[in-house]
Amino acid sequence: MSAKINFYLLEFALGALARQRSKTVFISVVLSLLIALLSSFFFIANSIKHELLQTLDTLPEITLQKLQGGKHTNIETSAIDSILLIHGVEDANARVWGYYYFGQAQSTFVLIGLDPFEEHYTKTMQQVVQKYDFMQESRQLVVGQGVKDILKSYYYTEEFNFIKPDGGIVTLPLSGVFNSEIELESNDMMVVSKESAREIFAIADDMATDIVIQVANPQEVATVASKLQLLFPDARVITKEAIQISYKNIIDYKSGVFLTLFIVSLFTFFMIIYDKLSGLSSEEKREVGILKALGWKVELILKEKFYEAFIISCISYILGVGIALFYVYILQAPLLRSVFEGYSKLRSSFELPFVLDLQTLSLIFFLSVPIYVAATIVPAWRAAIQDADEVIR
Amino acid sequence: MSKTPKKFFFFLSTLIIFFIGELLYLQIFHSIDPEAKKQKRAFVTLVGLPDLAISMEADYIRHRSLSTYFSLFKEGPLMREYYRTTYLYQPSNTYFTEHSNER
Repeated sequence: MSAKINFYLLEFALGALARQRSKTVFISVVLSLLIALLSSFFFIANSIKHELLQTLDTLPEITLQKLQGGKHTNIETSAIDSILLIHGVEDANARVWGYYYFGQAQSTFVLIGLDPFEEHYTKTMQQVVQKYDFMQESRQLVVGQGVKDILKSYYYTEEFNFIKPDGGIVTLPLSGVFNSEIELESNDMMVVSKESAREIFAIADDMATDIVIQVANPQEVATVASKLQLLFPDARVITKEAIQISYKNIIDYKSGVFLTLFIVSLFTFFMIIYDKLSGLSSEEKREVGILKALGWKVELILKEKFYEAFIISCISYILGVGIALFYVYILQAPLLRSVFEGYSKLRSSFELPFVLDLQTLSLIFFLSVPIYVAATIVPAWRAAIQDADEVIR
Repeated sequence: MSKTPKKFFFFLSTLIIFFIGELLYLQIFHSIDPEAKKQKRAFVTLVGLPDLAISMEADYIRHRSLSTYFSLFKEGPLMREYYRTTYLYQPSNTYFTEHSNER
C-alpha cells in the first residue's frame, strides 16, 4: 500500500461520510464526548500534580519522626545535636505543628509554629501575607483565606481563642491573612509563633513534632537517611523523594480509577461499532461489495475505509480535547473537580492552572484514534476478502 | 474538486484554528503566574508542608506526618499506611445526637 495520500480516494471517503450524514454526526458527537470526559480527568489531575510538584523541591531533604508503639509521637529536640554530627548534614531544625480542631465549625485547621527570628521569616511573611501589621511580636496569628472565612462566621474577626488540652484558653490577635495566590497551599493553615504553638498543644520546650534535616549534597541523602535510621531505631525517616512518590501515586490513583471506567465505556462503544459494521444487513457491507464488483482492489477499499475512520476520529479528537480544555480551564471543571478536591468544609477556591502536557495529549490520541480505526477497518476487511456477489447477496 | 471536500477542508481548518487559538488563550491567561509561583515556593519553604489544602481520602497524604484518629495503626519505618485498611470515619453529629440519651 503506498503511503502517499490518494486525493480521489479521500474525496470518495468524504462523499461516503456525507451520504450517511446522521450516522457520521452521531458517531463523532459520542466519540468527542467520550474523549472530552477522559481528557478532563487527565487535565485536572495534571494541573493538581503540577501545582504540587512545583513546590515539592523546596522541601527539606529528610524529615525525622519518632514512633512509639507504631504511632507518631513527639521527638526530643536534643536529638538535633547528634544529627548535626553526621557528615553531610547541613542543618537540622525542630518543627512544632499539628492539627487544631475547631469544634464549633467541625473543621480541622493546620497549626504551624514558626520562630519569628528564624532566617527569612519576616521577608517571606511580608511577601505572602496581606495586612501584615506585626514585626517582632511573638503573639500573632496569620491564617489562610478559608480559616478566615470560618472564623468570621463565628464572629472571630479581631482575635481567636484557642482551647488548650487542659481547658485553658490562649487568645491570639488575628494579624494577617495569606494572599489568595497561595490559597491552595494555605487555605486551612494557621501560623503562630513556636512559643504559642507549644502552649496551644501543650508541648514541652525540649520536645518537637518532628525534625527536618537539610543535606548539602543530594547524592548523600540515602546514606544520611540510613545513618539516621541506625542512630534512631525508633524513628521514621522520610526522604523528599518518598513524599514526591506518595503524592504522585494518590493523584494517579484517582485518575486511574476514571481511566478504567473510561476504557470500559470506550470498549463498549467500539464493540457496538464493530458489531454494527459486521452485521449482515449493514449498508457498509453492501457498499464494499459494490465497490469490489466495480473492480476496486481490497487494499483500495481498506484505504478508503481508513480515510473515513481517520477523518471521524481525528475530528472527534480535536473537538473532544477542545471541549475538555474549555470545560476544565475556562469553566474550572464544575462537578468533576470535586472528585479530586474532596468534600472538605474548608473549600478553597483555587484556579486550575493550564499545563500543556504533550504526553497526555498523545496518550489520549493513542487511546482513541487507532482503536476506532481498527474497529472500522477489521469488519471492512472481512467483507472485502469475500467474493463481490456473495457480499451483495 | 466537488463541494463536499471544499466544505470539509473549510470545517477542518476552522476547527484547527479554533483549537490553536484556544491553546494560545489558555497559555497566556490561564497558566501559572510566575509571581504566584514565587510566593508558593517561598511559603512552602517557610512552613515545610507542601500539601495542597484539598481534602483527599488518603489521610496519610494530607499531613502524613501526624497520626490522627483516622489512623488505627500508624506505619512503622518500613511499612506505609495504605488507604482503606487503616481508615476510619468519625461518626456524624446526628449519630452523637441520637445516641446522647443512651450514654
